[in-house]
Amino acid sequence: MEQIALALFTCLILAVISKSLSLPPIPFYILAGIFLGNSGLKIIGADEVFHFLSQLGLIFLLFYIGLELKPERIRSRGSAFLIAGFIDLNINLLLGFFAALAIGFSYYEAFVVASAFYISSSAMVIASLIENKKLILPESETAVWLMIFEDIVLVFLIFIISTEMQHPFVLILKVIAVVCLLFAIVKILKRALLKLLQRDDELPVILTFSAVLFAVFISKYLDIPEVLTVIALGSALSTTNPKAFERISRPFKDVFLVLFFFFFGISIEFSGNLSLMQALVISFVAIISKLFSGFLVGRAVHGSYSSGIEIGTNIIARGEFSIAIAAIYGSGIVSATVTAMVILTSIVGSFMAKYSSKIKAGLARHFKS
Amino acid sequence: MSIRSTELPGIGTKYELETEKGDKVAIVFMDPGRIQLYILEKESETPVAAELNAWEARRIGSILTGAIIEAEREAVEIAFSALSDLRISIHTYIIGKNLAGKSIGELAIRKMTGVTIIAVSRKGKNVINPPPSFSFEEGDVVVAIGEHDQLKTFESEVLGV
Repeated sequence: MEQIALALFTCLILAVISKSLSLPPIPFYILAGIFLGNSGLKIIGADEVFHFLSQLGLIFLLFYIGLELKPERIRSRGSAFLIAGFIDLNINLLLGFFAALAIGFSYYEAFVVASAFYISSSAMVIASLIENKKLILPESETAVWLMIFEDIVLVFLIFIISTEMQHPFVLILKVIAVVCLLFAIVKILKRALLKLLQRDDELPVILTFSAVLFAVFISKYLDIPEVLTVIALGSALSTTNPKAFERISRPFKDVFLVLFFFFFGISIEFSGNLSLMQALVISFVAIISKLFSGFLVGRAVHGSYSSGIEIGTNIIARGEFSIAIAAIYGSGIVSATVTAMVILTSIVGSFMAKYSSKIKAGLARHFKS
Repeated sequence: MSIRSTELPGIGTKYELETEKGDKVAIVFMDPGRIQLYILEKESETPVAAELNAWEARRIGSILTGAIIEAEREAVEIAFSALSDLRISIHTYIIGKNLAGKSIGELAIRKMTGVTIIAVSRKGKNVINPPPSFSFEEGDVVVAIGEHDQLKTFESEVLGV
């Protein structure tokens, strides 16, 4: 108990500091976990309860993401959404994969690293667009929708990574069955759910919490990744009243997710033969790769290089999803690599996003002269 | 010159307007009641923006629509779009002991301050447009209309507050 309280208080203080410096708090939570946990001072150890709460953080994050994936909303997006999404996917997944292979990971590990490498942090990208007051720019719209595209791809990436442990055919049947089941249940109960959500007592909260835990239970029972079930549940419930579910699940997500990052930091062990150099190489490539893909997206969607720089500089930060992928599937060495990448890209990314207009102006001068 | 609204997932809704002269104005409503107001000047790449809370946004909205109605404690200020420099305030006051028994005519309220008493509420009963002969009692709630400065004079000269 005191471990969790200590962890949360440490994170609270760090969040205050990082926000006053306009830096994303996630890398600080992880660093705090590293310093106070197994690889550091060993003040805070991880017990069962801590582990469970941190799992809840991940689960509520993914549920929340699922709520944003409204099927009809995505269907109505135009071709620009797909073009931007595919450019971003191809460049980053391939570059990440080959960079990881080049520094000595196995094929499976390289794929996990590449997935973490590909997926930007929606939370950080969105927070920085708001913070830096860029929402009027058409490029920020592209960037925000790119995050949605990445979230959809995340589902497939997790699916592919999971086929390492199970036969893909069996897994796909089970996943399709669960997705159909969830959507069907929500469809049948839609009226009752909407009515329940309107109440202002504790029932909507109990409903949300138990629905999410129920999805986890189904996953355990059928042996499919709970990540997929929870996202599917969120997406199914987004057809009812997603705003209400977001409002209710947000406090759970906010608190438990902090514990998730901290816990991830505690459990990292730097005992593998990952050299600092390798981690730096991957992080550096991760920054270049997003700048490059953003640049191409800007050219393709907005027809200008300067839009490309704007998009590229805004999507560098990797965060919660990369950590999630590493936490679920990564070996120690993969986790350590991804951690280094998240810390570096999120901090560099936040500065580049802040000074994107200066970068654009500087480059424009450079190319004119 | 049409308003375009777009959804920004994870953020909220953005309303955009390109003005006749080519400047862009955007308003973003974010989910927990924060609002950002943007202006992007024609041919500029760097927007300026202000972050507003719900109250500030409503205030700006009502200024732009031309009718400022601000309910600040017991005062209301009204402005008309066609008469941009006319600002009328309506204020309520409670009559104290010092004015009890005195009539509106006796106090020469309008002559002295320019303020007109348009209504008096006494023990739940309302008198609209009280005549000059109307005498105040302690505890009457009066509704006074005038310009901001006239009301200030009324407060200091007549009410003695």
